[in-house]
Amino acid sequence: MTSLLHGLIWGLVIATVLLTVAVFSIWFERKFAARMQSRYGPTLVGPAGVLQLIADALKMLQKEDIIPQKADPVLFRLAPPCTVIITLAAAAVIPFDENVLAADLDIGVLFLLAVSGLIVFPVWIAGWASNNKYALLGAMRAVAQGISYEIPLVLSAMVPVVLAQSMRLSDIVSVQAETHWFAFWPLGPGLIAFLIFFICSLAEANRIPFDIPEAESELVGGVTTEYGGMRFGLLWIAEYLHTLISSAVAAAIFFGGWDGPFAPGLHWMVLKTFAIFFMIFWIRWSLVRFRSDQLMALCWTYLLPLSLLLVMVSALFVHYRVVNA
Amino acid sequence: MTGHEAQEQFVALLRERFGVAEIPDGNYPLIDARHHFELARVLKEEFDYRIYSFVVASHHLATADANNDGADVEAAHYEVATGVRCVGAPAHLASWRVRIELDRAIPTLFPLFAGADWQEREQYDLVGVRFDGHPDLRRLMMPEDWEGHPLRKDYAIDTACSPWR
Amino acid sequence: MLTRAARVDPHLDLETYDPGADLMALNLGPQHPSTHGVFRIKLYLDGEIIVKAVPYAGYLHRGVEKLCEELTFIQIIPVVDKNDYVSPMMNEQAIAMTCEAMLNIEVPRRALYMRTIFAELQRLASHLLWLGTFGMDLGGAMGGGASLFMHCFRERETILALFEEVTGCRFHYNTHAVGGNRHDITSKFSRDTKTTIEVIEKRIEEYVQIFSSNRIYRDRTQGVGVLDGDLAVSLGITGPLARASGVDHDLRRDAPYHIYGELDVNVFTESAGDCFARTLVRLNEMRESIRIVREIIDSVPEGPILGMRPGKSPTHIKIGAGQHYTCLESPRGELGTYIIGGGDNRGASAYRLKIRSPSLHAASCIPYVFPGHTVSDAIAILGTLDPIMGEVDR
Repeated sequence: MTSLLHGLIWGLVIATVLLTVAVFSIWFERKFAARMQSRYGPTLVGPAGVLQLIADALKMLQKEDIIPQKADPVLFRLAPPCTVIITLAAAAVIPFDENVLAADLDIGVLFLLAVSGLIVFPVWIAGWASNNKYALLGAMRAVAQGISYEIPLVLSAMVPVVLAQSMRLSDIVSVQAETHWFAFWPLGPGLIAFLIFFICSLAEANRIPFDIPEAESELVGGVTTEYGGMRFGLLWIAEYLHTLISSAVAAAIFFGGWDGPFAPGLHWMVLKTFAIFFMIFWIRWSLVRFRSDQLMALCWTYLLPLSLLLVMVSALFVHYRVVNA
Repeated sequence: MTGHEAQEQFVALLRERFGVAEIPDGNYPLIDARHHFELARVLKEEFDYRIYSFVVASHHLATADANNDGADVEAAHYEVATGVRCVGAPAHLASWRVRIELDRAIPTLFPLFAGADWQEREQYDLVGVRFDGHPDLRRLMMPEDWEGHPLRKDYAIDTACSPWR
Repeated sequence: MLTRAARVDPHLDLETYDPGADLMALNLGPQHPSTHGVFRIKLYLDGEIIVKAVPYAGYLHRGVEKLCEELTFIQIIPVVDKNDYVSPMMNEQAIAMTCEAMLNIEVPRRALYMRTIFAELQRLASHLLWLGTFGMDLGGAMGGGASLFMHCFRERETILALFEEVTGCRFHYNTHAVGGNRHDITSKFSRDTKTTIEVIEKRIEEYVQIFSSNRIYRDRTQGVGVLDGDLAVSLGITGPLARASGVDHDLRRDAPYHIYGELDVNVFTESAGDCFARTLVRLNEMRESIRIVREIIDSVPEGPILGMRPGKSPTHIKIGAGQHYTCLESPRGELGTYIIGGGDNRGASAYRLKIRSPSLHAASCIPYVFPGHTVSDAIAILGTLDPIMGEVDR
């Protein structure tokens, strides 16, 4: 009973906090993008436009619910909420502070990667159920991209697991707190593994330069073509949530999570997450997107062999007691 | 070669090979419809006029018999002006006109210039002149089921049409 | 992957193409974020590879040529402004040049200098707009492309402010007349122009760097959309498109008009014929426009700007029987006007007026260039073809 209550409360807390943070990160992204483009961004609604997203959410809620006649009635309605639900489920194992996390699973990293892998399904179903050729193209691209980039993602996430010799996320962070952050020691495997993990998270979350599933200039709306109003809002929020959670995970397993002097652990966790999140914005508003075959080539010919090599190298490091001596 | 020399060369070509006697001020001479394709071919292959510049068709109504004596009457006809240009200096434009009756067709220049495809389609669409041998002569600007050719002189500018179909 | 034949058959018969392939027909447009206006291309896709592309033009057909047979020569200048709505000065100049040639009016030197300056500034503004929208095509309105778009438009706004100073309009100026110009430039205009092009010159170097050094830009544009030079001229394609395919042809240098005969216009060609080559050609043209403006902005002679007495009635320009064609080098290629005089009202209107638009010829290369590429490439290629639908459809 207590575990059920514990789970419910934690679930509510995580869902509320993460959704609010995701919504305000959209505001931050819009201001940041605007400044990069010599303009102001939202300025009218609330001080510095902070309440703009509330206004947008209210607008989306009161829009007409248009469902194409030939779209699959069940799957069309099911896909957007599923994206959000599955993304939030992955946040259960993120360590926010020492002993402050929803579920301290033995198989933390495995759970995280498995659940993130499920996110491809609702995106694909959204495109398929729309009964629209553009959505179909977007869905097929999403599947190809999603399942291809999962492999280097998993392998690069294995590097901290091997170095810490545990899949439990709180263990990984504790080991980093005691020794060094894995991004910086051992130098080489850690940093490259972080970069590969970073690139693959961009691809999994369909962020530019990997946003071919919803390539607006090619496929009108891609997967989201037929969706309007709050359904589109959910798909959109899910993308931001996924990015946020990937940043938090990267901060935890590569940059020591809540480890840091002077300030409480939660502050460091938030700082590191947002540093990585900021990098993701910066890349989005500077680069153009890849073509689908170039994207596949990047994954299979560069990232995959490199991540395999890194796992082997980090295993050798541990074997010869360079780490955890 | 200067523009002037290129023009002289063009005039000489017309006079010698195509029997054109009268060339008003050196340009836009009237050519017989039978020589239309051959002239374009000679210009492209022997004189390197490879740039397809323009084709313009216009519809001319029959002129009224002003003096009531049978002279000064011209039947209704199309006039098709074509222009091709040479690459690089002096970029001379060789252009000529052809007149054909309303029920005749003029040979297409598509085998020589790929641009004739769309340009001739547009002139067929807007004026109504047909091109013999064109691979795909259908409307370009107007909707496929439009009736009439808008740029003809007997097509009023405020002809009623129904945009909603 | 399809192998691209030396010349693709634009009238490919899909019935006999390949019974095993499962072709999907996809409509690109007419409502699409990247078709540069209302333009429809029916793509037949084998997976993501295009097998056949059939463009349908005419969604923006407004009957401009028919209208020009009703309006007088003074009235059609603001109407043709809306053809190539990205570089309106060019349309006005084309009409004015043809009328002046038919009436043997000599345009005063000051007006010729002004026309040249306006043409080059317009070319710069048009290429800036092209660059911004090309970035959006490559990278999306929500991403890096939008950043490039905003920066290019920031530059373009400074040029439009210059035009506003002279003519009062940012867009669609109605400043050219048969015989010269209607609005005069001042010394303030010269000073402002010099400052503006100084700033834009520096920013163009940044754009060149973005294109040459960013791996993703190069991957998306190199080797994509190769247009053969012979096919280009056969289709009637001139301008940056043809020059990127190795055709050394520029009307400003080869058949000079305005005062180009007294200037040394550098013409830039590339041989690759792909999207990257077209980008380089346009970037170089931007630099060349800046150089030309800088060269002549201070040596504009004094004098009148209209070569004939301005008339009081709309019908004071009358062109009798006869026909003429003149053209100029617009940012998209050879823009010309063919006028048959002797129309209504004793020649106050044209009998037939045809606008030879370079964008229509550029759009007609789509059935030849698209097959063998993916949908993403198709958008990149369409971006570099730079079709302006107002001009394609008139």
